[in-house]
Amino acid sequence: MIDYKDQLKLQSYLDGELAESDSREVADWLARNPEAAALKTELDQTRKALSGFEDGIKLPESREFYWSKIRREIQRQEAPAPPRPSEPWLYRLRRFLVPATGLAVVGLLVLTVTRDTGSFDASVETALEDSGAFTYHDDTAGATLVWLSYPADNEIPDDDDLNSVD
Amino acid sequence: MVKASQAGDMVAFEELVARHRDKIYARAYSMMRNEEDAIDLSQEAWVKGWQRLKQFQGESSFGTWMTRIVINLCLDQLRKHKRQRTESIEEMNEDSGGVERQMPVVTVNPTAGLERGELRQRIDRALGQLSHEHRTALVLHEFQELEYKEIAKVMGCSIGTVMSRLFYARRKMAALLADLKRENSK
Amino acid sequence: MRANLKATRALGCVCAALMVLGTTYAPGLAQAADMKLQSQLLWGTDDAKPPEGKNYKPVEPDILKRLNELPLKWKNYFEVKRTDFILGPELTKKVPLSDKCELNVVRQNNSTVEVSLIGRGKEVVRRTQSLPRGQILVLGGNAPNATAWLVILKRTD
Repeated sequence: MIDYKDQLKLQSYLDGELAESDSREVADWLARNPEAAALKTELDQTRKALSGFEDGIKLPESREFYWSKIRREIQRQEAPAPPRPSEPWLYRLRRFLVPATGLAVVGLLVLTVTRDTGSFDASVETALEDSGAFTYHDDTAGATLVWLSYPADNEIPDDDDLNSVD
Repeated sequence: MVKASQAGDMVAFEELVARHRDKIYARAYSMMRNEEDAIDLSQEAWVKGWQRLKQFQGESSFGTWMTRIVINLCLDQLRKHKRQRTESIEEMNEDSGGVERQMPVVTVNPTAGLERGELRQRIDRALGQLSHEHRTALVLHEFQELEYKEIAKVMGCSIGTVMSRLFYARRKMAALLADLKRENSK
Repeated sequence: MRANLKATRALGCVCAALMVLGTTYAPGLAQAADMKLQSQLLWGTDDAKPPEGKNYKPVEPDILKRLNELPLKWKNYFEVKRTDFILGPELTKKVPLSDKCELNVVRQNNSTVEVSLIGRGKEVVRRTQSLPRGQILVLGGNAPNATAWLVILKRTD
């Protein structure tokens, strides 16, 4: 049985990672040692088997569809943040319309606080850093998408998970 | 095409995507072993590629530059999903040289006589049975053609660990391909 | 007498102004008490029909339109379950989605909610989301056989 260090050295020789003097040494050893030569043959065959493997892998989406998602994400990231609307003039005007009594002014201030303007505050946070979530917001769609890596690969749910609601 | 893209021409960039999309997707698929993850990560790589185009100086081919981006994204994703799991004896011993040093040498070429498509299927199955550390080392060496020290940097480990993982991965692949050959000849 | 009339008129102006403002702002005050929401559990698939024996209906057109604007690849979406609920003064609601999943929604203010998705007893994600009227939150992930699960959360008030 070849020593493990020598096995790794043989691999380095095969990968062109050895200095020239070491390479010559391994080459000589291979010529004398059939076990080592057999291991080299095995490693060679594995390498040859792997070459070209990825050439046969094709993206299973059409050019247009694949590109549309990339383009949308680039545009989303490059779009400037929408400006916050300034306080409508009517709010300021109303304050001057109300007769000046102390209690009425206080009452108006209370009523004008925290109004839901419907403007979209894009600042959101995800509490779980390791959730593996990918977030995408689209103003046109009026939607925020949070894509989760749930369930995980080793937790593939039963088909019944989606079908269990009746 | 690259220069036009760097100048902000998105039509030119779309053409680059079209030309290289299979390669980038394939690299992501080899790493992730999952079609959806590979699609998502390859798309993310293209978005990052667009953002970093100005940094591309032509020191490597554009395709190689893009594969590096997608590999880094894949590694980030794999790290995120790393689970506490009971490691097999093989994985625990990888750095000290465990099972692979005792595996008998595969003497018969397990891929001889196979058509390209069938070979690809068998390799696909065998790759799926490696741990992601072993598969990553193999992908980075055999497909990305990185040297040991570059792999060590990318994987955040020592050169010795790279060599062990690569050796284990290769020997395991040979054994798996031999098993598949035996299965199919029954 | 004149002083009284002036005082009365001034008081009348104040009351009128308060009434005007009251009717303008009253809906806001009502919203501070109730936030009406709806969750929808959807199934995303390239199949034209739901699974055998399930009468899921196709997702409503407005939601479909928005999902098609997002980088999602499925052709069809079916509604598995819809739940309307109100975040009233109690401010928190647990919304069952299926036997194994639920949403926990906590109201932060008039237009912001904190949403937790609980799957198999574990919190999968927690998100603080601004959700004004007209906007939707979509949580999603992969499901078996290259399909997807999605949860839509939207305002209905």
